[in-house]
Amino acid sequence: MLLADLLTWWYGRGWLQVARNGQRRLRHVIDLFSVSLLLRTLIAPWRKIITYPGAGLDAKMRAISDNFFSRMVGFVVRICVLLSAFVSGIVLGVYTLVVLLAWPLIPVALLASPILGLLL
Amino acid sequence: MTPDLGNIRAKKARLGKRIGPIGYDMLRGGMAAGTIATIILFILSLPNLACVAIFFSLLCLVPAAWYRLELHELPTNSESLTGRLDRHLLARLEPGRDMTPLTIWQDIKGYWQNFFVIDHLFIHGDALDDHLSQEPADTAAVWSTAAELAGSQPIQAGHVSAALLLTTPSLQPYLQSIKVDTDTIKAVTGWLDRLLESRHVSRPYFGGVGRDWANGFTPRLNQFGHNISLDIEAHGAHFGWLTTSPGVQAIKTAFSQGTAAVALIGDDGVGKTSHVDALAQVLLQEQTDRNLEHRQIIALNPSVILSHASHPGDLEHLLLLLLNEAAHAGHIILFFDDAHLFFQDGHGAVDLSQILLPVVQSHQVQMIFAMTPRDLQQLKTTNGTLANLLTPISLQEPPVDQVMRVLEDAAIRLERRHDVLITYEALAEVYRLSGRYDQDTAYPGKALKVLEQAMAHADHQLVNAASVQAAIEQTRGVKVSTASVAETDQLLNLEDAIHERMINQSQAVSVVASALRRARAGIANPRRPIGSFLFLGPTGVGKTELAKAVAATFFGSEDNIIRLDMSEYQQPDDVQRLLSNGANESKSLILAVRQRPYAVVLLDELEKAHPNILNLLLQLLDEGQLTDMEGRAASFKDCVIIATSNAGANRIRDAVSANQPLDEAFERELTDELINAGQYKPELLNRFDEVVLFRPLEAAELLQIVDLMMKEINQNLANQHITVQLTRPAAEKIVEKGYDIRLGARPLRRVLQRAVEDTIADKILRGEATAGTNLTLDVADLKL
Repeated sequence: MLLADLLTWWYGRGWLQVARNGQRRLRHVIDLFSVSLLLRTLIAPWRKIITYPGAGLDAKMRAISDNFFSRMVGFVVRICVLLSAFVSGIVLGVYTLVVLLAWPLIPVALLASPILGLLL
Repeated sequence: MTPDLGNIRAKKARLGKRIGPIGYDMLRGGMAAGTIATIILFILSLPNLACVAIFFSLLCLVPAAWYRLELHELPTNSESLTGRLDRHLLARLEPGRDMTPLTIWQDIKGYWQNFFVIDHLFIHGDALDDHLSQEPADTAAVWSTAAELAGSQPIQAGHVSAALLLTTPSLQPYLQSIKVDTDTIKAVTGWLDRLLESRHVSRPYFGGVGRDWANGFTPRLNQFGHNISLDIEAHGAHFGWLTTSPGVQAIKTAFSQGTAAVALIGDDGVGKTSHVDALAQVLLQEQTDRNLEHRQIIALNPSVILSHASHPGDLEHLLLLLLNEAAHAGHIILFFDDAHLFFQDGHGAVDLSQILLPVVQSHQVQMIFAMTPRDLQQLKTTNGTLANLLTPISLQEPPVDQVMRVLEDAAIRLERRHDVLITYEALAEVYRLSGRYDQDTAYPGKALKVLEQAMAHADHQLVNAASVQAAIEQTRGVKVSTASVAETDQLLNLEDAIHERMINQSQAVSVVASALRRARAGIANPRRPIGSFLFLGPTGVGKTELAKAVAATFFGSEDNIIRLDMSEYQQPDDVQRLLSNGANESKSLILAVRQRPYAVVLLDELEKAHPNILNLLLQLLDEGQLTDMEGRAASFKDCVIIATSNAGANRIRDAVSANQPLDEAFERELTDELINAGQYKPELLNRFDEVVLFRPLEAAELLQIVDLMMKEINQNLANQHITVQLTRPAAEKIVEKGYDIRLGARPLRRVLQRAVEDTIADKILRGEATAGTNLTLDVADLKL
């Protein structure tokens, strides 16, 4: 009875749960790397380190240049983190896909492996 | 209605319990070992053995996955009773035998939830072993009650423990004897439910690694304040139900709508700081409202700010720097706890309202000011513009169920920190006694304070009602616990104890002693003073002496007396003196009773007080409290109120001369006369518990008073090892010289002082009385 329930679960709720766990982990990666926030603030100045423009063209030009630099630093850091998030997401996605594909084969492999051992 | 322990869910629950976390780890280990062995065997070209290793690895993987994803959680369903049972409970119920209340108890008695319920109710486990039914038919009531207690949630072992208590009739006398009723049992299961709920809260999302990268640094703010939000992020604090409270939601809505500054108004102890902590958690999690997304709250520390301002102008400069930093950072809400420290000059405080005003007006920084209603009123007088710009959000004292919930949460923390058990009875006592003895602070703050104080009175790591009472007695100087054996003896013989200090007036002493016994036995009205008496009689007959005797015998010391001479309160304005909070008035009754809440309040010569004062007395006698000029109540519920009056003295004297008894009929007659003469209003006389008549003293009683006074003199001489006594004629002479029909026994002390003390003083100075001398004074020796 327990074995039948195990098999029913394995090919039903269990399989779905593996998919759900993968989804949850992916969500966690997106949250951990602040993906949504970083995309919205991709070119914002790094830690708001900005120069307020003073009087005169020189000061204004310097402010524009400083702020552009701050935005560049922010962009580079954010892009690096977003790339890391992307790579982590891909790895996690592939892992989940492999597990999902392998999942229905595990009970079969369990039964087949001793037979295969005898045949080899 | 009984669970089916043979169905698949029950079997899975038992299997899950058998595997458990240790079995799961072993399966994982086996899986890892199998995988490694497979790889090695393939490398060694041993494919058949590698297949065996694969088999072993998968054999571990399948149950491990089943345990992790299914058996470990085993979701409940509402299809049947078995489906509603929590997996821990279901796994513990032994199949294959007749289920009875006793077997259920035996199955769950070792589980922590059972300990939680039984221990917090302070029930002896053996009582259940002895009383639980062994009839299978009785289990249906247990399960239906447990299902009722669980409501729509899974049925837990704790619910079943409570159901066993509620459905066993033979247990009820025992439960009544330890003051555990149905409501208490239900309250403890509710406490358990909330604890289980808090354990299932997952870690909230606070924004991830890049949360603050678009916001400025806040080095100065970190130096002069502390970031509440980062504390919460680091320590994972969960404020649970408080995050959805109306107060927190109101502040959030105000900021969401663009409010620059919120005045969080509430009395001390109402939970202003906790609301801001909960708000910090809410804002840190916020993702939908872009204006508030992942905002952080920094609480400024006034003492650190003040300590860094050594020169004039430093403080203003520093505050401006802090405000600019917060404005520039863009994600900071500043929190001014105890905001009055920033709005008024004084010790540890400075008025910075003029600097804050333009910042609030310009909406540069969002701010929260926590203050009491009094602080807001004061700000309105000193800087009305700023006060009007603040969005007021009032926090009211929470109802009893919420206060109990706060206490339950705190109790869990304190139990872990102090390694103690806090019974539910203790929490209920904390609520009751803090409400009664702390008028200055609001709930839940005052209750939390008492609960923490009770930790110091834990007995064998147990905090019960007695620990709470001991804490109150130590900190407030009142008696709230059950009378000890010695105290019971003293109470039963209170008349004798009082008569050691004063002569006769047996009726008056008896009336007062009875009232005090009623109060200490807990059958007096708890919302009024312990006792209130109007002592009527001539001067010098022992009215004040009886008040002192009550202070000494009932309150432990003659010092526990608050004495007011009402002849000093004859003007209408004197009401203010009486009700002053004591800051500018030394003769404030309110201040005196706050300092000594457990005392005799003696109002001497009541008839001389202004009528306004007598009206005030009506409130005091009726409600057991007075309200000071600032609207704060002071409790007189642990005081004995004694008012003395010479009104009707002549009438009493005449009655005694005419051998008329001072019985109830005479008392009614006298009070009617006093009312008709306009000396006292009937509503005032009716509010006293007793009107006690004191009759003039007789010669024999005066001789006894002389004896008492001689005892006092001998006590004073004890250090010099000199004793003194009077011959009978000498005592009679002193009575003859010292008694005045108008002044009673009052001149007696003066005569005794002159006649005896002066004589002894002379003898000591002349060297006629030295250590070991026993003097006997006759009439001739007295200096009269």
